[in-house]
Amino acid sequence: MSLSTFAGNNGNLLVEDPLTCHSVALKHPVLTNYELEKIRSIDTGLFQSKTIQCYFRADGKPGSLKKGLERICEYAVHAVEDGFKVLILQDRAIDSNHAPIPSLLSTSAIHHHLIRKGMRGQVGIIVEAGDVWEVHHFACLIGFGATAVNPYLALSSIRDLKETGKLQTKLQEDELKKNYIKAVNDGLLKVFSKMGISTLQSYQGAQIFEILGLNKEVVNKYFTGATSRIEGMGLDEIAREVLAKHYFAFSKKDIPADRLPAGGIYQWKRKGEFHLFNPQTIHLLQHATKMNDYPTFKKYSKLVNDQSEKACTLRSLFQFKKTRPSVSIDEVQAAENIYKRFATGAMSFGSISWEAHTTLAIAMNRLGGKSNTGEGGEDEKRYEPLSNGDSMRSAIKQVASARFGVTSLYLTEADELQIKMAQGAKPGEGGQLPGHKVDEWIGKVRHATPGVGLISPPPHHDIYSIEDLAQLIYDLKNANRKSRISVKLVSKAGVGTIAAGVTKAKADVVLIAGHDGGTGASPISSIKHAGLPWELGLAETHQTLVKNKLRSRVVVQADGQLKTGRDIAIAALLGAEEWGIATAALVVEGCIMMRKCHMNTCPVGVATQDPELRARFKGDPDHVVNFFKMITQELREIMAELGFKTVNEMIGQADSLEVRDEIEHWKYKNLDLSAVLYNEPNSIYSTLYCSEKQDHGLDDSLDWQLWEAAVPAIVAKEKISASFPIKNINRTVGTILSNEITKKYRSEGLPEDTIHFKFNGTAGQSFGAFNTKGITLELEGDANDYFGKGLSGAKLIIYPPKEATYTAEDNSIIGNVAFYGATSGEAFIRGKAGERFCVRNSGANVVVESVGDHGCEYMTGGRVIILGDTGRNFAAGMSGGIAWVYDVKGKFANNCNKEMVDLDDCDENDKNDLYNFIQKHLQYTGSTVAKFILSDFENQFKYFVKVFPKDYKKVLHEKINTVETSV
Amino acid sequence: MGKPTGFKEFSRELPGRQPVEQRLKHYNEFGERYTDEKLNQQAARCMNCGVPFCHHGCPLGNVIPEFNDAVYRKDWKEAYDILSSTNNFPEFTGRICPAPCETACVLGINQPAITIEEIEKHIIEIAFEKGFVKPRRPNLRSGKKVAVVGSGPAGLAAAAQLNYAGHSVTVFERDDAPGGLLRYGIPDFKLEKWVVDRRIKLMEEEGVVFKCHANVGVNVSINDLLREYNAIVLAGGSTVPRDLKIPGRELNGVHFAMDFLKQNNKRVAKKNFLGNADIESNIIEFELTATGKNVVVIGGGDTGSDCVGTSNRHGANSVTQFELLPKPPSERNDFMPWPSYPMLLKKTSSHEEGAARQWAVATKEFIGDANGNLRSLKIVDLEWKIVDGRPASFVEIAGSERKIPCELALLAMGFVHPQHADLINDLGIDLDERGNVKATEKDFRTNISKVFTAGDMRRGQSLVVWAISEGRECAKAVDEYLVGHSVLESKNERLAFI
Repeated sequence: MSLSTFAGNNGNLLVEDPLTCHSVALKHPVLTNYELEKIRSIDTGLFQSKTIQCYFRADGKPGSLKKGLERICEYAVHAVEDGFKVLILQDRAIDSNHAPIPSLLSTSAIHHHLIRKGMRGQVGIIVEAGDVWEVHHFACLIGFGATAVNPYLALSSIRDLKETGKLQTKLQEDELKKNYIKAVNDGLLKVFSKMGISTLQSYQGAQIFEILGLNKEVVNKYFTGATSRIEGMGLDEIAREVLAKHYFAFSKKDIPADRLPAGGIYQWKRKGEFHLFNPQTIHLLQHATKMNDYPTFKKYSKLVNDQSEKACTLRSLFQFKKTRPSVSIDEVQAAENIYKRFATGAMSFGSISWEAHTTLAIAMNRLGGKSNTGEGGEDEKRYEPLSNGDSMRSAIKQVASARFGVTSLYLTEADELQIKMAQGAKPGEGGQLPGHKVDEWIGKVRHATPGVGLISPPPHHDIYSIEDLAQLIYDLKNANRKSRISVKLVSKAGVGTIAAGVTKAKADVVLIAGHDGGTGASPISSIKHAGLPWELGLAETHQTLVKNKLRSRVVVQADGQLKTGRDIAIAALLGAEEWGIATAALVVEGCIMMRKCHMNTCPVGVATQDPELRARFKGDPDHVVNFFKMITQELREIMAELGFKTVNEMIGQADSLEVRDEIEHWKYKNLDLSAVLYNEPNSIYSTLYCSEKQDHGLDDSLDWQLWEAAVPAIVAKEKISASFPIKNINRTVGTILSNEITKKYRSEGLPEDTIHFKFNGTAGQSFGAFNTKGITLELEGDANDYFGKGLSGAKLIIYPPKEATYTAEDNSIIGNVAFYGATSGEAFIRGKAGERFCVRNSGANVVVESVGDHGCEYMTGGRVIILGDTGRNFAAGMSGGIAWVYDVKGKFANNCNKEMVDLDDCDENDKNDLYNFIQKHLQYTGSTVAKFILSDFENQFKYFVKVFPKDYKKVLHEKINTVETSV
Repeated sequence: MGKPTGFKEFSRELPGRQPVEQRLKHYNEFGERYTDEKLNQQAARCMNCGVPFCHHGCPLGNVIPEFNDAVYRKDWKEAYDILSSTNNFPEFTGRICPAPCETACVLGINQPAITIEEIEKHIIEIAFEKGFVKPRRPNLRSGKKVAVVGSGPAGLAAAAQLNYAGHSVTVFERDDAPGGLLRYGIPDFKLEKWVVDRRIKLMEEEGVVFKCHANVGVNVSINDLLREYNAIVLAGGSTVPRDLKIPGRELNGVHFAMDFLKQNNKRVAKKNFLGNADIESNIIEFELTATGKNVVVIGGGDTGSDCVGTSNRHGANSVTQFELLPKPPSERNDFMPWPSYPMLLKKTSSHEEGAARQWAVATKEFIGDANGNLRSLKIVDLEWKIVDGRPASFVEIAGSERKIPCELALLAMGFVHPQHADLINDLGIDLDERGNVKATEKDFRTNISKVFTAGDMRRGQSLVVWAISEGRECAKAVDEYLVGHSVLESKNERLAFI
């Protein structure tokens, strides 16, 4: 990835001209004041910069801001015509009568104005602004055309913080600024990567944003081409917002206190931004659920629902509209039949404590709803019912990009398997668990190294297209036929199309997650600036599914700060028949929104792994049950009022909603929410809720034959063997069989080699996926992608046909993304594997003869022996396990990403391990490479490089030391 | 937040207090100071919560996590700036506030709360010592004149704020010195009077004019005020005490607590405590002490507690305190969950000094001797019916009636409403159903044009911190009334753009 950029005239792409290179090369887009001044004063004879003052008259009159914008656009054109190569947009020229134009507006306005004039390529745009400090601000400026940015106020704030001693650090001012700039740059890279963009130059002007709350005139003229669906403020309203701050700074009077307001964006503050969870609502909710006190709950929901003066959700702008006569509440579907539609949010064991996690699970099991594992796996002991009949088992098992603890048993123990494509609070990112929260226990459940931070990969490495997703859905359905397969998407423009694709890919459930969730551990810029309200995504999804006659095939679920019965009713009316609640359920358990989840210091034992603090947890499943009962009661009251007897009747009836008529607030009275409330006409032959089962096409699986052959093994642990021809239409082989074995033998599985199947031919995708212990699959031939995906104890052997004449070690035998998320088992591959080999392996031992790019990425456990070349970026993000690479050519070090691993020499232990693995490899596959190495082992051994993750090494050393001290 | 794990490492500690036998010999404050290290540790316990309930629990909206952090960093100026941005008189609240912030402290869910009040007191005292507290005179005078009637915490806060806003403020006080209850209600051992004097002096330097022995409605004409001033703020407090009209009430030795306390404060201040009954409040024209007497304080609140402390310092023979309500629990229960302000059994410093405390006791009769002097009380035990955790109704326990010796009975049963005589009646101002001056918490306006009200006079009897808050918010309303807009701080107002 690259942040480098060029400020100056880009020249004519079609004409070769040395002058095209006459521009300033910047390594990254964040400029210090010194660097900015250098650019400002460049005069090469051909290259000068022009500073444009971006202000408008602070008279509060309509049109003042527009006039200011027109002026700077005109000046910009003049400057380009006059031959300046860089425009510096500066907002420093302000005084009591002149206010700054928001830098994003001035940048984008000039950017688009110059594009329209055909001049944009002739200049670089550098922004010198005070209103830029967060990563998101930089990303927006660059995304709307800026070449580079000088955040002068942020930089002076750093100086001030240092000078006044507010930073407890010995670092000097320059170092602090350097760190800030590095952080911004890293943040930008993260933002680009989330959007699948590698270079700043591709991101610049790409406008990968959705605008919320600006009207069409503003968007069309100043943010031309950007997505904006709900209208909103015009220039005069923007000016008003600027002037509020301006007035604060330049008010005519002597203000007694010269302190800036304490803020309140990231923390509740009395005078700060309004937060729905505030001292009053948190207290009322906790008290109501603890005492099972419905009147108090109503007080809580009234406070949450009534946002007439300080709206902070789109739904607060709606009101119910009666389209049919009310019914008595006794006629409304019983609450007991509604509870099953509730789920708690996907929060992992790891992000929250054992106590907090199991309390939710017990509560949802008592209620008949569903709790969610999150992406952190699940301790097996939760599958045993407790003595009082409670169960700590989570009905929903999440399958996220890191595949933590996704074993055959985990999948078998699910009622719903949820593929997390993205997370509402931080779309494009995976979970992030800081190292101090990964204790022994968490490490064990996740098959990861304790003490080492876990950052889930942004993408699922087995999903690069909708077909890949369909394959994973098929894999999971094989792994547990009784489980629903759910796909979690985030609310964004275009999510409807995605949801339609997901439905066609045979998902049983589509979850639309809103933007406003997320624990305190999520990156702040993501919490605040990524994702959209679920109202938008849900409405779009429902409408698209109805339009494409897909709605009846899939359950639509919504989540994102659902807090009251009214929220649930609105979600139902916009198309969701099931609902997820996370934050509110945590608050009921005792969470008081500390926003310290990333620090492991949660004082109420919810989001911490510190045993001392966990002991302070006071949550009770009964309180959580009370909460869901009360919220259901509230929903039923609304249903009665609106005349709906069942939830199904209610789904997608958007005409029972209307926009509130008394909206007065200047900031949001111009929003246009008609698209959200649009009622897509439905075919009379279909329903607006899920009423059909998906056909997952499992009938054609080869596994039915395998199962039949394996009956003696499953029933009586008899050793069996059989052989089958295989073709590439035979996908996901052995997975149904594994599911059956696991049901009976749990994680133990069967003794090694109890079942031995020999296949001849070409295997389809996901050969051996999630296969469990006791199964050995031997394939003579080759295999497609996802070979050994999620391997869960089985043994896979693959070698080319005996009659093949080519050199096996020089030819590919399995496709890409083999052993992705493998948790245990063994495999021997006589030939080359494709790219992304053993990504997220956490326990399988694999011998292979060569791998493509990105091998062993994010690996946390297991052993990998590579008897040949690797592609580049090997071991990126690898924090556990060991890889040994047979590096005869001495090229490996260049291909390895050494950020997290050391390349060590092998010791005696390694020698034994290697010898044993290679011997097995020879035995199973007849590999000539293995044979050669073993024949000259003492000499060949020297060529092995040990790839040893630094963190893992540290932990192993600590363990040895502890053992020694205790001895 | 200075130290993320501070709350795990350090436990709550209050500064030491002088031993009882020593402090009973004088009327001075007896709390010690934290060492620098202790202060730093106590501040380090603050967790800088995502939702700082303390900041919500404080009626002033004190930005507590921020000043705790500044204290941790030993940035005293910063700490003072933060504190003084929301609180005009931290030296008062730091000493006598019942600290609703501490009951709302998140740490209090399962650990002892942060010592917010002590930290507050240390900030302001250090600020005075280091010279940060300087008179802040407005740059511009608006030309508007405001009269503030009453110089208790509400009146003082309103006056200070209105003065900052540039208005010329005159405070009218019927007593001989400003301060209201701070001056003559709270004993010196809880709030030494030089602390009040120090603040008054500052305010005078800032331009506020104090007129004492000026009882509006008695020796100052309200009509003159209405003529001369652009706005009037009534902040006279809730001064009419709840009486106990039982047989023997007229006996010598039955007194209102405030009469007793005021005389003592004046005595400590070495002032004439017998004169000026025509202008001042709570003057009894003879010396009243508890020395050698069996004292019974009727009423279990803070005023009662002050009577206990004062009586012990007088050298009473015995001190007994009665409370009508049953003995409250010593820990929170389901009916008073965190972060609400709980009705818990409180042991004040005066109780430490010795008092027999009895709950669920009613006084039936004051019994005197032939000379009309109180000799004993007839009392009875009560049985309370508790509904939803709250005492709802009681019956007397048959056969529990008894007599106890008593030569001084002090009535400390709270205050019912402001004094209606003179000023309020003269003005014909609207009262609410409780007899307080009627005005909303939003605009503080009475039904009389340009007359505002704040503090206990509007709210009914409450805490010092509420009085300061009322004064501040009222000042903003007055400022808006006078000039159309206000830049004064308000605890709730958001910037227009949010």
